[in-house]
Amino acid sequence: MVVGRRWVRSLLGAASLVLAAPTAARATEPAADAHGRDIQFHGFVSQGFLKTTANDYLVDSSRGSSEFSEAGFNATAQLTDKLRVGLQLFAFDLGAIGNFTVKADWYYLDYRVRDWLGVRAGRLKIAYGLYNDVSDIDAARAPALLPSSVYPFTNREYLLAQTGGELYGYARLGRGGALEYRAYAGAVPLEVPPQTGVAVPITGIGVPYIAGFRLMWETPLDGLRIGGSGVYLRVEATGMLPPPLATLTAKANEYAGLGSAEYAAHDLLLAAEYGQTRVENHYNPMLVPDATVVSEGGYVMSAYRARPWLQPAVYYSLVYPNRNIRDGRENVQHDVSGTLRFDINEFWIVKLEAHYMRGTASLAGAPQMRAVLPENWGLFVLKTTAYF
Amino acid sequence: MLRSPLSLLIAGLVAATSSRSGAGTAPPAPAPAAFRVIVAPSNRVDGVDRRFLLEAFLRKTTVWPDGQPLRPVDQPADSPTRRRFSQDALRRPVSGVKEYWLQAIFSGRGVPPPEVDSDAEVVKFVLQTAGAIGYVSSDAALGGAKVVSVK
Repeated sequence: MVVGRRWVRSLLGAASLVLAAPTAARATEPAADAHGRDIQFHGFVSQGFLKTTANDYLVDSSRGSSEFSEAGFNATAQLTDKLRVGLQLFAFDLGAIGNFTVKADWYYLDYRVRDWLGVRAGRLKIAYGLYNDVSDIDAARAPALLPSSVYPFTNREYLLAQTGGELYGYARLGRGGALEYRAYAGAVPLEVPPQTGVAVPITGIGVPYIAGFRLMWETPLDGLRIGGSGVYLRVEATGMLPPPLATLTAKANEYAGLGSAEYAAHDLLLAAEYGQTRVENHYNPMLVPDATVVSEGGYVMSAYRARPWLQPAVYYSLVYPNRNIRDGRENVQHDVSGTLRFDINEFWIVKLEAHYMRGTASLAGAPQMRAVLPENWGLFVLKTTAYF
Repeated sequence: MLRSPLSLLIAGLVAATSSRSGAGTAPPAPAPAAFRVIVAPSNRVDGVDRRFLLEAFLRKTTVWPDGQPLRPVDQPADSPTRRRFSQDALRRPVSGVKEYWLQAIFSGRGVPPPEVDSDAEVVKFVLQTAGAIGYVSSDAALGGAKVVSVK
């Protein structure tokens, strides 16, 4: 049982990180010297459990599954007042994906010329919406599962980080608040996913180029920020066809836009986002006709820090994978979610979460398969994270 | 009446956290102390606005108006002075600031200011570090550090 051993090894390694956490955290605190040099180490370990009343979501959830684990460790060094370098290693397991393979989640060299202009190079988290760049960081938000209408788990393998460069900055607008902006371009190397019993095995896949931006206006009202994000990416894949056709080439141009608003002040968080994604598919040879699909989705969310150790949160999320086809359970996903986040101490949180789902659009499988699955179902999540 | 495993878990967590925070049997936590913002005596700045403090301690701005590097220093998360500073200057609880930094730390956008354990350590940091800014309780010994006004 190689997989089983690897799982145990990863968990033991992660546990040792957490046990060392208080010492490590203390060790980082007074590290800054008079010249701004500073090195910090941080990490986290998460373990979750998913159970659905019907249908399998992300994992074999109808039976209940604990294949929902994440661990990360990073080091960041401030070498001068303007120059910083960092690296984060990350491993996760979520059903069929992840499988505890340790990867460089991000690494970068960051030179901040001015407050209004900085440049980063390396493997960088993609700034899209309010939470894309922290969507795999459980401790940094209230819900265990972010709204899938904007942050679907299926994006996790290819829309979390890109390898390339980024310009960023923060510009004050006097009494008008401030602007925070990021613009990036690069590529997303991908690995061929495991495949069994598929008609056309994929032999290669990647995102040869991606470019995007995020612009947020921090309004004069404390805690209120409003903005938008846009991203373009090209996905290319090749598959093996039976002779005499030999090779199938698939190319997709994807354009995504998202509007965001967040109010985070005192103990209250309010957030809302709405976006559309346009995907243009082209196949060669044309066994499948070229197609263009526009999806749309959004959510509203609220969280309140009722006590230092308790933060309830709720959200409603809605997505149409094809905005022109709205009839049928397979073409829509409503998601009403409620979360209780318990901060047990400074390094440890537990989340209890329940979802009422209507529709099957977020489930795996072809539309005709999803059309016969139960339309109304529940999802329960228990997740705990330790971090330092 | 039988209690579900879920309600037992919630009750256990609440009991654990209540005993940690001293709620229930212990007297309530003291009100957060007032604070003063301090810099080195050589710093030419005499006053800052609240927005500047927010940008400095969230590291959105990294230099003083004269171009000198800006180096904020924090107190521990459980410090009453930090609670007051966080509420008044940053307009969010310490937990909200920690969440902000968790997002930055784990997405590679930055790391928080260093934390030191006491007012005396803040004063020492401010006096020894060029461009430093910190906050101490209103009755702290300043050891020569300069108090700046907050508008």
